Amino acid sequence: MESNVKRGKLTKQDITKMSLLSSLEQASFSFERMQAPGFTLSMLPAFKKIYGESKEDLSEFMKYNMEFINTEPHMATFLMGLILSMEESGEDRKLIEGIRNGLFGPFAGLGDAIFWFTVLPISAAICCSLAQDGSVLGPLLYIAIWLVAAISRIWFGQFGYKIGVKAVSTISESTKYITKAAGILGVMVVGGLIPSYISFAFSESLKFGMGDGTTVQSVFDNILPNILPLGIVFLIYWLFKKKNANVLVIIIGIILFGILMSFLGWM
Amino acid sequence: MEITLIQGLLLMLVGFICALDAGLEVLYWFRPMVVSFFAGIVLGDVTLGVACGAVAELSYLGLLTVGGTVPPDPLMAGMMTTVIAYTTGQDAKTALGLSLPFALLAQWLGIFFNTVYVGIAHKCDDYAEKGDTQGFTRLVITGWLVKALTVAVLVFLCSYAMQGPIQSFVNAFPIWLIHGFEVAGGILPAVGLGLLLMVTLNKDNAPYLFLGLIMATFLDMPNVLPIAIVGVSLAYINYMHEKKVDEASAKITVSDFGGDSDGI
Repeated sequence: MESNVKRGKLTKQDITKMSLLSSLEQASFSFERMQAPGFTLSMLPAFKKIYGESKEDLSEFMKYNMEFINTEPHMATFLMGLILSMEESGEDRKLIEGIRNGLFGPFAGLGDAIFWFTVLPISAAICCSLAQDGSVLGPLLYIAIWLVAAISRIWFGQFGYKIGVKAVSTISESTKYITKAAGILGVMVVGGLIPSYISFAFSESLKFGMGDGTTVQSVFDNILPNILPLGIVFLIYWLFKKKNANVLVIIIGIILFGILMSFLGWM
Repeated sequence: MEITLIQGLLLMLVGFICALDAGLEVLYWFRPMVVSFFAGIVLGDVTLGVACGAVAELSYLGLLTVGGTVPPDPLMAGMMTTVIAYTTGQDAKTALGLSLPFALLAQWLGIFFNTVYVGIAHKCDDYAEKGDTQGFTRLVITGWLVKALTVAVLVFLCSYAMQGPIQSFVNAFPIWLIHGFEVAGGILPAVGLGLLLMVTLNKDNAPYLFLGLIMATFLDMPNVLPIAIVGVSLAYINYMHEKKVDEASAKITVSDFGGDSDGI
């Protein structure tokens, strides 16, 4: 089994360089192969250090990495590190290919849960509350948060390289817990965002009956303040989930609704 | 107010830089929060840019690129919300509603590129066959640059070249129509949040949504950070609890198995 090819050894710097190069992971994205070109590109210099300029190995490596892949860009380096550590120890390429194709999906789920569904809403919420008064602190903090997130890909790369194949099952085990925890946090923050960022209330002049009747809005407020914003979020959620509604149709619907309410003088 | 040619070209530069990032999703400079901020700097009204960014960012929260889908373009939304607010003097919420056609235009451009770039992937296969890393790298980077450049040109056309038509179009609107866009702009963040819930909400974590809502309704907080901290705490408590339960049930199965094999 031991091949007699002399293989180079990767250093910590090589993995850091690979992780930085992985910034290009989504370059030339297409519907067919998705991130495959950028994913392959990110690992080329490190792979060359292992196998030198051997065209045969390079071609084989590039070909299996050009297969379809779509994962979360921050955590893609984890997979790259894992692939390179296996290439370095001369594992069978069929095995590496299987691990690559089996893991990118779970990592996409985990990465989306962390970055899109947790970090993004929280950073947007905090920075928007700063920015609403026009403070530049909002966008500056936003840029800083995502810079730290971008740097995390170096850490994911080192982690993937170090951990090796054996730990993969342990990782997919804890993936379950992390996704769940991220879900709790994300959902709670969305709940907190509803009152502050959705303005949906009837006009003060809209009353039941003539003269000094109670305003329509006060009736809703007496049931539960913010019941209307909550209701509209659930309505949209329901339309997406159960009716498979198109985003564009909903956005246009809201614009038409706003114009109608304004025309009637209700809002 | 009017956008000068210099400002138009600078907006194009901002568009290019942010579109380079949109192609990669590394720095998140393609998000409305950042694009509007930069556009505000170029137009000499940072406060306006920041305010527009805040409104647009939330509406585009749940419009994710997850799974390779292309939503209405957040970059163009941030850019045009600022440009429309600046040129027409409308409020940020109104400008957000009016920016939708431009965000859709950029979305279609994105779909076009993602389709055409299937060709790049196939050309990459040829390079892979030959083991030609240089040609491979050059092609992937060219594809990335060309797409960003196209978006930049679109930004220039929509902001500088189109400002006259946009202005006279919006100025012809009656007040109730303008106010209608403002009402809609206030509701639009619900789309972002609804989409976000579609992927995160399930029957196990639904109570936490209401906890967050009630906290935000009845407690006087400067921002959502306190809710996030409570959220982290609850998530941790839940994690510890689940781990304990899982470990306990694992023990039972192991001892059951042991008992069986003893019996045999």
